[in-house]
Amino acid sequence: MQREVGSLPLAPALRARLVAAGFQTAQDLLETGPCGLSKEIGISKEEALEVLQVVRQECHGDAARTAGASDATRKCTALELLEEEQAQGFIITFCSALDNILGGGVQLTKITEICGAPGVGKTQLCMQLAVDVQIPECFGGVAGEAVFIDTEGSFMVDRVVDIATACVQHCQLIAEAHQEEDHLKALETFSLESILSHIYYFRCRDYIELLAQVYLLPDFLSEHSKVRLVVVDGIAFPFRHDFEDLSLRTRLLNGLAQQLIIIANDHKAAVVLTNQMTTRIGQSQSTLVPALGESWGHAATVRLIFHWDNSQRLATLYKSPSQKEATIPYHITSHGFRDVQPPAVTQNAEDTEMNPRKRPRREEEK
Amino acid sequence: MAAKKLRRARLSQELCERLSRHQITTCQDFLCLSFLELMKVTGQSYYDVQKLLRQVSRACAPKMQTAYEMKLRNSVNPSSAFLSTTLHSLDKVLHGGVPCGSLTELTSPPGCGKTQFCIMMSVLATLPVSMGGLDGAVIYIDTESAFSAERLIEIAGNRFPTYFDSDEKLFCMTRSIHLYRELTCGSVLNRIMSLEEEIISKKVKLIIIDSVASVVRKEFDTKLQGNLAERSNFLTRGASALKYLAEEFSIPV
Repeated sequence: MQREVGSLPLAPALRARLVAAGFQTAQDLLETGPCGLSKEIGISKEEALEVLQVVRQECHGDAARTAGASDATRKCTALELLEEEQAQGFIITFCSALDNILGGGVQLTKITEICGAPGVGKTQLCMQLAVDVQIPECFGGVAGEAVFIDTEGSFMVDRVVDIATACVQHCQLIAEAHQEEDHLKALETFSLESILSHIYYFRCRDYIELLAQVYLLPDFLSEHSKVRLVVVDGIAFPFRHDFEDLSLRTRLLNGLAQQLIIIANDHKAAVVLTNQMTTRIGQSQSTLVPALGESWGHAATVRLIFHWDNSQRLATLYKSPSQKEATIPYHITSHGFRDVQPPAVTQNAEDTEMNPRKRPRREEEK
Repeated sequence: MAAKKLRRARLSQELCERLSRHQITTCQDFLCLSFLELMKVTGQSYYDVQKLLRQVSRACAPKMQTAYEMKLRNSVNPSSAFLSTTLHSLDKVLHGGVPCGSLTELTSPPGCGKTQFCIMMSVLATLPVSMGGLDGAVIYIDTESAFSAERLIEIAGNRFPTYFDSDEKLFCMTRSIHLYRELTCGSVLNRIMSLEEEIISKKVKLIIIDSVASVVRKEFDTKLQGNLAERSNFLTRGASALKYLAEEFSIPV
């Protein structure tokens, strides 16, 4: 009630007038009433009413905060958070080694960043995740939809068709092995057409379209409440060229990161970003580091770096709040993102796709 | 899209005038400001500014399409999704050929046959659709002056003797290949930027740039400090312009 007039979210000109007329706290405003307000400041009665409504809304929010009501704020105990985290689902990547080092898969409500040199498999993983997020719950997935924001134009529908077909086949095999009711029922809705129709694709040509799309995302997600994954493929690309003003770039990126964190938390969605690599030239050598600078490094909660090692692709978990740093090899097959098969098993080349290595992991989850 | 004027984003006239007094005329300027700056400049309250922001965003945001719609569009005319290279194993690996609507890069040490491949692709693009071509014109941006018209006719005559049986057909084909000789980075970039209208007027179905590296290496010496940034700037601008052209017109580049 004792809130100062200068801190209310009103138009600046209006605020200036209120202060000039001598109103100092919100209490003063509420006591005056709309008619008195309009006469003193010289605004219409409707505007005065609006001002008072805004003031009342703010003060109610304040009072609830000071009274400690837990639903007005985001305050809750760590125990509640623990229960929430344990019940939370993960989006699996079909590569069990990667899921293990991530602690189960890509986490919901967190931002995961994937960095890597060109051609190493970032977009492949994003497409794999966009399919995997739709796996029904009885098979161990989160049964959600995906939003794919593409800035580089590397989204190939035919490739997604391949990945989705492999995923559906995999689930069909599991259903045949277990023969449970809900498996078969879920399989009816989990088909190629439904997978493709639940991937919402946006093609952003430059950073302004990207900013505009991220501003509109909360509304979109409220309409499509089943979305559990937002992929921004190529967050570095529109910001790396034609940007003379580096401070503007940092500010826009930070704003973008904050928006994405809010979206991830409010809608319980996982946000996956892909970043490019740039060369940092040191005194004696040059190293590959993620692009967009040091300040961007704070935006993502989990950071994965993909790199090559003599024609073997490796993934390193570089930054994570709960898992330790580890490196694992992975493979990209015609079916998508997969584990590297150990040498003993690769002798029978025909059935490496239906390899029992993948199925036991599923059965463990039951 | 970004340079869209605020007037066309359906903001009120007086708001546009007020903003233009602060030199904010396009959506780009509007979206680059922070909340507080926007409140100061528009003179409106926090919630109104949020609504304005959403309105302006809606004016510039891209359209949504589901992956399913994209697949349907591709499968409606499968032949137009790829330009076959007529090398069967290469086509199999590429899933059909050079994809339409995206950039394909060809690299190799010198002398392996890149320019020959480009010349062959130009011939293929001018063939009618029934023979696996795109029935359209070709824009060939040559930076090394390596294009030889005689070789073009030789390839066309020997590869498709039944089709190019008359001189007239050969002339027709050569007329639809537009060659531009550019020798500096700046002129290459200018040429790419000006291609949009030419593509529509000449019904171009294939763009070839031979080669990007030669101009870039000639002009930018990476040992000098500032040049690295300028070089990557030039390359990314060229790349995004080409991507835009490829996607907009669904042609291979």
